[in-house]
Amino acid sequence: MAAMTQQLSTRHLLGIKDLTAEDIRLIFHTADSFKEVINRPIKKVPSLRDITIANLFFEDSTRTRISFELAEKRLSADVINFSASSSSVKKGETLLDTVNNILSMKVDMIVMRHPAPGACKFLAGHIGANIVNAGDGTHEHPTQALLDAFSMQEQIGDLKGKHVAIFGDILHSRVALSNIFCLQKLGAKVRVCGPPTLIPKYIDQLGVEVDYDVRKTLAWCDVANVLRIQLERQHIRYFPTLREYAQYFGINRPLLDSLDKKIVIMHPGPINRGVEITSDVADSEHSIILQQVENGVAIRMAVLYLLAVRN
Amino acid sequence: MKLLIRKAVVVDPHSPYHGKVSDLFIENDTVTGIGSNLKLKADKVVEAEGCHVSPGWVDIGVQAGDPGFEHREDLRSAALAAAAGGYTGIGVFPNTQPVIHGKAEVAYLVTQTKGGLVDLFPIGAISTDGAGKQITEMIDMHHAGAIAFSDGQSALQNNGLMLRALQYVRTFEGIVINRPYDEALGLEGQMHEGVVSTSLGLRGIPNLAEDLMTQRDIYLADYACSRIHLFGLSSGHSVDLVRKAKARGLQVSCSVPVLNLAFDDRALVEFDSHFKVMPPLRSPEDQEALKAGLKDGAIDLIVSNHTPLEIELKMLEFPYADFGAIGMETAYGLMNKALEGILTTEELVRKLAINPRKLFGLEPVSIREGGKANLTCFLPDHRWVVRREHLKSKSASNPLIGMELKGKVLGVVNNGQAWWAD
Repeated sequence: MAAMTQQLSTRHLLGIKDLTAEDIRLIFHTADSFKEVINRPIKKVPSLRDITIANLFFEDSTRTRISFELAEKRLSADVINFSASSSSVKKGETLLDTVNNILSMKVDMIVMRHPAPGACKFLAGHIGANIVNAGDGTHEHPTQALLDAFSMQEQIGDLKGKHVAIFGDILHSRVALSNIFCLQKLGAKVRVCGPPTLIPKYIDQLGVEVDYDVRKTLAWCDVANVLRIQLERQHIRYFPTLREYAQYFGINRPLLDSLDKKIVIMHPGPINRGVEITSDVADSEHSIILQQVENGVAIRMAVLYLLAVRN
Repeated sequence: MKLLIRKAVVVDPHSPYHGKVSDLFIENDTVTGIGSNLKLKADKVVEAEGCHVSPGWVDIGVQAGDPGFEHREDLRSAALAAAAGGYTGIGVFPNTQPVIHGKAEVAYLVTQTKGGLVDLFPIGAISTDGAGKQITEMIDMHHAGAIAFSDGQSALQNNGLMLRALQYVRTFEGIVINRPYDEALGLEGQMHEGVVSTSLGLRGIPNLAEDLMTQRDIYLADYACSRIHLFGLSSGHSVDLVRKAKARGLQVSCSVPVLNLAFDDRALVEFDSHFKVMPPLRSPEDQEALKAGLKDGAIDLIVSNHTPLEIELKMLEFPYADFGAIGMETAYGLMNKALEGILTTEELVRKLAINPRKLFGLEPVSIREGGKANLTCFLPDHRWVVRREHLKSKSASNPLIGMELKGKVLGVVNNGQAWWAD
């Protein structure tokens, strides 16, 4: 594989913030090869034989956990799964104690999802294993951003100068933040759009544009990445009703049809159908939501592989 | 105790020896001789290159832990940490268990510490249990020895209660202390709101949460014709509000925590929970405004914001870690370094020793023959590295461990006792 000659600049994947544009291109290049692998009749390669990976999920997840597990198994890694609902965390054990216990069983890599921003960084400061951030609170979700950008490139080519709009709940979204960092490193222009109560006040200082008008923003963009309304992370009300949200901030078919161009529609899932996106958009020819899921496995294989070969 | 301090620069604008290199002879709790080349027999002679001596420093808003949180700090360890930081007096916040909210609790603190090296000045709670609802028996607490009234770390939210407290303390010309902070605006906030918090995905605490309450407290103090001290300002705009209130002749004063002078929110980019403090470290512009406020007198005091916490509450994922850091022992070295070229040693001594005594009605101290020996000796140019094993506090939650500071405390003298650094 061509990627063998190159290395990532980091030994963990804590966030897109820590990656260089070269790192991102190396991951994409490696993911291309793995995408070919997973479309073969025999979908497995021996790359990570003898590597043990622990998937630590301190927050509910279905698709990310399955995607990582599949990526690990296709690379022939040994996998253990740990989730908060069945864990000692509820008995009051600290994160460090939990992880050190698991590491004592000779685990090489950790894939962690955690509700606290910075949790992966905190862990990286205290343990030796490679860490892959599978989402830390409202901070970063780097593999999601990588698979999003990878999927965009498949559709519209090089992202340099392209317009990408992120719609919805930016305030509670780790996907938005990682997407912004990743797209900027690849040269795209980014705009966020949603109700002002769900847009961080200083987000423009990250170099993104802000708009509250969905129609205008759709007309501006080449790609619309529609985020899920994170009701589970909203402890107070940031908008009055889902009905009003859908009406003024949701993406629907008449809106898309009013544009004089075809744009790409993406969503990191799981979708609240009829809230941030209607079914006739999510299931339309514009949508690449299921390709994103497929690419997710290839991207995660690439990340795990590149971190493992770096050791 | 007979003590001779040799060749020290006296820093005390109220002393005839101000600015002069002098020998000080101290017998028990009195300065009995000041001059050059005193030939007197002492039990201990202190002589150090670059030694300065000033009236003893006072810190306000210390968390002393006792009663209830003795695993974090107790009255003995708090006094030791204070002495090592150059303080001969500490005004302690009432956030203990039970809360210092009646004369019995005030009397406990007074009797436990009376006559010690470090004077302990209780600050009584404004509300019962510090719950922000029912006003406390402040007159009783005043007579028992409380120097001021505050809910301490709990920022007072209720406007009506704040007004009544300001009015009620007029009975004895008292002073109310509040940390200006609107809880609803700081909701779920983990650090200063700005581009750094945005890029870390951490919920921010806007300057507005402080500015709004600063303005409220100024309005209320004006209405009540009463005295308010705004504890621990971090926002440049709040400093400006205080500056304007002072210009109007209102009885408003304020303080700044030393960490906020020395660091801005970029200290948190690595999610280091040791820098997670309240008020939060704000923008570089705020930091500059705080320094300017100290220089022009808008800010009266520098406080250590000493908040001891067990390590288990800090060694956590950032959002789960508690706010707070210890600071008394490192306050001088850090402020002296951060304010180099901005504040003179005399100006620093005003913020540390003279202003707090004046604001809180404490007995004034001046370096003169026959005067009370309540002194801090310090070395402004001495550089040193903070080591955990040197700290006297029971808590280790200090973000400065391993860092080099400029300016070191040599020792303190008070109530016929002394403490000297090794």
